[in-house]
Amino acid sequence: MSFPVLTVNELAMKFGTSEVFKNISFSVARGETLGLFGKSGSGKTTIGRCIVGLEKPTGGKILVHGEDILSMGKKEFRKLRPKIQMIFQHPETSLDPRMKAFENLIEPLKIHSGLKQDSLLKRGEELAELTGLRPEHLVRYPGHLSGGEIQRIVLARIMALSPDFIVADEPTSMLDVSVQAQILRLMQKLQRETGVSYLLISHNLEVLRKVCHRIAYLENGTITSIENINRGIKT
Amino acid sequence: MSLLEIRGLSVEFPAGENAVKAVSNVSFEVEEGETFGLIGESGSGKSVIGLALLRLLPESAVISGEVIFQGQNLFSLKPSELRNIRGKKISLMPQNPAGALNPVLKNGLQIEEVFEERRVDKKEGMKRSLKLMKKLFLTDPEKLCTLYPHQLSGGMRQRLIACMSLSFEPELLIADEPTKGLDPEAKAGAVDLFTKIKKEYGKTMLLITHDLDLALEVCDRIAVMYAGEIVELNEASKVLNTPVHPYTKGLISAQPRNGLVPLRGQSPSRIKLPEGCFFNERCRCSGIECSKKHPEIKKHKGGWVRCHFQSLQ
Repeated sequence: MSFPVLTVNELAMKFGTSEVFKNISFSVARGETLGLFGKSGSGKTTIGRCIVGLEKPTGGKILVHGEDILSMGKKEFRKLRPKIQMIFQHPETSLDPRMKAFENLIEPLKIHSGLKQDSLLKRGEELAELTGLRPEHLVRYPGHLSGGEIQRIVLARIMALSPDFIVADEPTSMLDVSVQAQILRLMQKLQRETGVSYLLISHNLEVLRKVCHRIAYLENGTITSIENINRGIKT
Repeated sequence: MSLLEIRGLSVEFPAGENAVKAVSNVSFEVEEGETFGLIGESGSGKSVIGLALLRLLPESAVISGEVIFQGQNLFSLKPSELRNIRGKKISLMPQNPAGALNPVLKNGLQIEEVFEERRVDKKEGMKRSLKLMKKLFLTDPEKLCTLYPHQLSGGMRQRLIACMSLSFEPELLIADEPTKGLDPEAKAGAVDLFTKIKKEYGKTMLLITHDLDLALEVCDRIAVMYAGEIVELNEASKVLNTPVHPYTKGLISAQPRNGLVPLRGQSPSRIKLPEGCFFNERCRCSGIECSKKHPEIKKHKGGWVRCHFQSLQ
């Protein structure tokens, strides 16, 4: 039996006495993009952070390929961690400012892949090409790159680990309209080529309608509806 | 006479042995009471123009050209003379309202600082500010003054910055990317805010943005910038509804509602700019001339366009 890549079941979160969200349930199939729409402060980002293990929810289950990540031990979760990745909203704080772009790009490979130096550099160059980065970008520090260039490096870093699932938290809200289109189209291309699934968090409904297969609407701490955009993919 | 006239403004930043050409020979005028928009992608030089005209760029920047404000060339003023213009006659609403406020000082104290700097009675200043805050849709401004910046939403921080910028009723307000990163509700609020500033205060504004919807809603005229130069300038509705330059057309097609069609390629290196048209490599209608000769900006249908494109001739 094949499981959805991600299943979220009755997820709940409280900060102190204040309830951020409750009864959050959805699943994401392989190669699918699920949009998560809600106003600022509605808890979208916290849901994303729970999925990648950056926050611990106060209730519910998060299943990746049918396995509950919340009941996993640290070692077991560390093995799974490269397969679930996150793109953060602010490109300028996503990379280490003291490392050049290429060093930033190959860092996950150094930690997780076990590749030797030659193969590591070769793989880094392949990833740069895949994400449309030019050699001149790779020798610069993040402070000397534009938001769009940094988001390409972030995508290359993430793709280095061949993830099954990516939480993209407002990946284009800080970018201008032409760069936004480039990054979203690049994400779609990577999905077609690798079958990666996305949870695309955004407050821009126009963007979600254009790139998602389904959209979940988050209101007052619960999902009020899930809309099928009918882009010809299994849901 | 125009309130602001920019003539042949060029800005370069040294980068090792080379120089990054951030702005190349930009000229435009802003009439009194007009809202003039500067649009274009990140790195096109929009914000550099805003900072250059208040001489807020780092000392290493090489600036040439003239900025004439009320008949005075701002580039030839002494620092003390310029201080009388900054904040009083020309105000800047900086990009990223969160970064523009001091995170460890309460909002009220930061508003008071504006008056302290100008040696205006703080109490009188605060009274004026509270009135202004109410007018600019900030409910319960007294309470807001007791909070820290992180306790405000993005939209509220932006309004607070707007109030501080308008404290001395400047002749010209420069707003740099006021809607960047805001959610749709706060964006709609920003449109209301600028419409109100324009109508009730009759302010002349230079609006620097990549938000085409905001530009269409608020601006009277728009200049589209690409790789440090103006490629199209006309009335806002003409530029955004019937664009002429292929780059402007590309920007409009990249909007989600128009198909999310990205412009191919990337903008040219600003250290070594191409010989011909800067947009040539990404242009869908370029010809032989485009790769050889840099186009001059020409009059076209009541506006200005920088393109060799056949249909313009």
